Amino acid sequence: MRILLIMVLSLLGCSGSIDEPVSYFNVETPRPFGYVNGDEIPQRIIIETRSGISLQPGSLPVKGQINRWLNLNRVTVKQTGQRYQIDLLYQVFYAPLEVKSLTLPGFTVQLSQGEKSISQNVPAWTFTLSPLRELVVRQSEQGEYMRPDSPPPLLANTQALYGLAASLSVAVLIAVYLAYLYGCFSGMSRRTLFKRTLRKLAGLSEADMEQALTVVHHALNSLNGQPLFLNRLGEFYRRNPQYLQINSQLAWFFNYSNRYFFSDAMIAVAQDLQQLKELCEQCRKIERGSR
Amino acid sequence: MIRTIRHITLWAALALSLAAFVYSAGALYGIHQNNDLIRQLVSGKDVAVNKVIGGEPELRLARAFYFKQKHRYDEALSTLSLIMDKSGRDFQAKARYNLGNLYLEQAMQQAKAMNINEAMPLAGLAKQAYRQSLALNSGDWDAKYNLEVAMRLLPEMDRVDMPDDELKNQKSQLWTTVPGFPRGLP
Repeated sequence: MRILLIMVLSLLGCSGSIDEPVSYFNVETPRPFGYVNGDEIPQRIIIETRSGISLQPGSLPVKGQINRWLNLNRVTVKQTGQRYQIDLLYQVFYAPLEVKSLTLPGFTVQLSQGEKSISQNVPAWTFTLSPLRELVVRQSEQGEYMRPDSPPPLLANTQALYGLAASLSVAVLIAVYLAYLYGCFSGMSRRTLFKRTLRKLAGLSEADMEQALTVVHHALNSLNGQPLFLNRLGEFYRRNPQYLQINSQLAWFFNYSNRYFFSDAMIAVAQDLQQLKELCEQCRKIERGSR
Repeated sequence: MIRTIRHITLWAALALSLAAFVYSAGALYGIHQNNDLIRQLVSGKDVAVNKVIGGEPELRLARAFYFKQKHRYDEALSTLSLIMDKSGRDFQAKARYNLGNLYLEQAMQQAKAMNINEAMPLAGLAKQAYRQSLALNSGDWDAKYNLEVAMRLLPEMDRVDMPDDELKNQKSQLWTTVPGFPRGLP
């Protein structure tokens, strides 16, 4: 019987805590010392309520002057589910003669559950404020010492500079692209002639020898500016003397091409294609300037 | 057709970016000139009025700074009052701080000459300007210090550390605002 009574009492005790309208309440404030005239003091109040209970925002302190020396600059309420985070930002304007204890006034937060109203007290908070000036005031030439005027700021030119740099870069990019479209960089395509030829050759086998030879002929013709044949090599070397160093390979190419296209029963082998590729490699090195 | 459109678009974009370049260069030149004027004013040399009128708020702040240096308080005040709500928060805080300094310096001069009746409202205005400046930028140590100077010059006398007193005051204020019932009528 006694055990049963204890159990019933303990159950009653538990049910009481479940019925609490406010399940969590905390006031967070920074250090209570070391403030001076004009400082801002933040205060965070966290209230967690049972479901069905809501905060009455009208019960919070109103932004503006609280008393002669205290202003409330900002009130923000953030709600996540049943959790309310109230951020208050006070600013103190008080000039004490010595370290002085002051109190942020407490207030009552109203919570409502349907018609019913519940109160939650936010306690007053005491902190100390220190003076900035000494008691015996320093004197300057004009009288009492005071801080000088704030020098006027110079106009910021960063935005204009960014605008200038951005518009210039865009203009240059477009101008270069237009110049490319208008063919102002013909020299550039000559510099990549054999690069493109090598890329085309890479995908060909000895069975495609006809195509491979045509590709190399086309590259050499483009370089020469007109069709190039074996008997015109001398003229070609006069215009492009750097190609004289691969004279034997070029001569082999023209001879091989003649034999391939104009004699019957010519069978291309892998070695020929390899030699052709080596010729192109040499030409590529010359056009790049590395040989 | 598509190639033509692409070409026209490219030329239009080039023209647009060149126009933006010219505009930015002009803006940069204007800023450079204004900054030269500001430097000139800070160094204590006046500039032509027509360059300041209608100019940037920073330029007018510089002119007010110049007037204050030359103790031309009325002109400094009229220049400052025109730019109080211009530009960003930092600028407004600076303008209000300089306005506070303008009032406080005059208040201290009047107090020194024992003209207490003239000094008191000036110190009150200085405090108000510093408070506004600190509300905009609470990290300004100069404004905090000068506010304390102004507060010592014109102390605020009522007790603040006794909440009971405040409550009583509030109560009495509340009663005085409730209209009384007319008496003595039949």
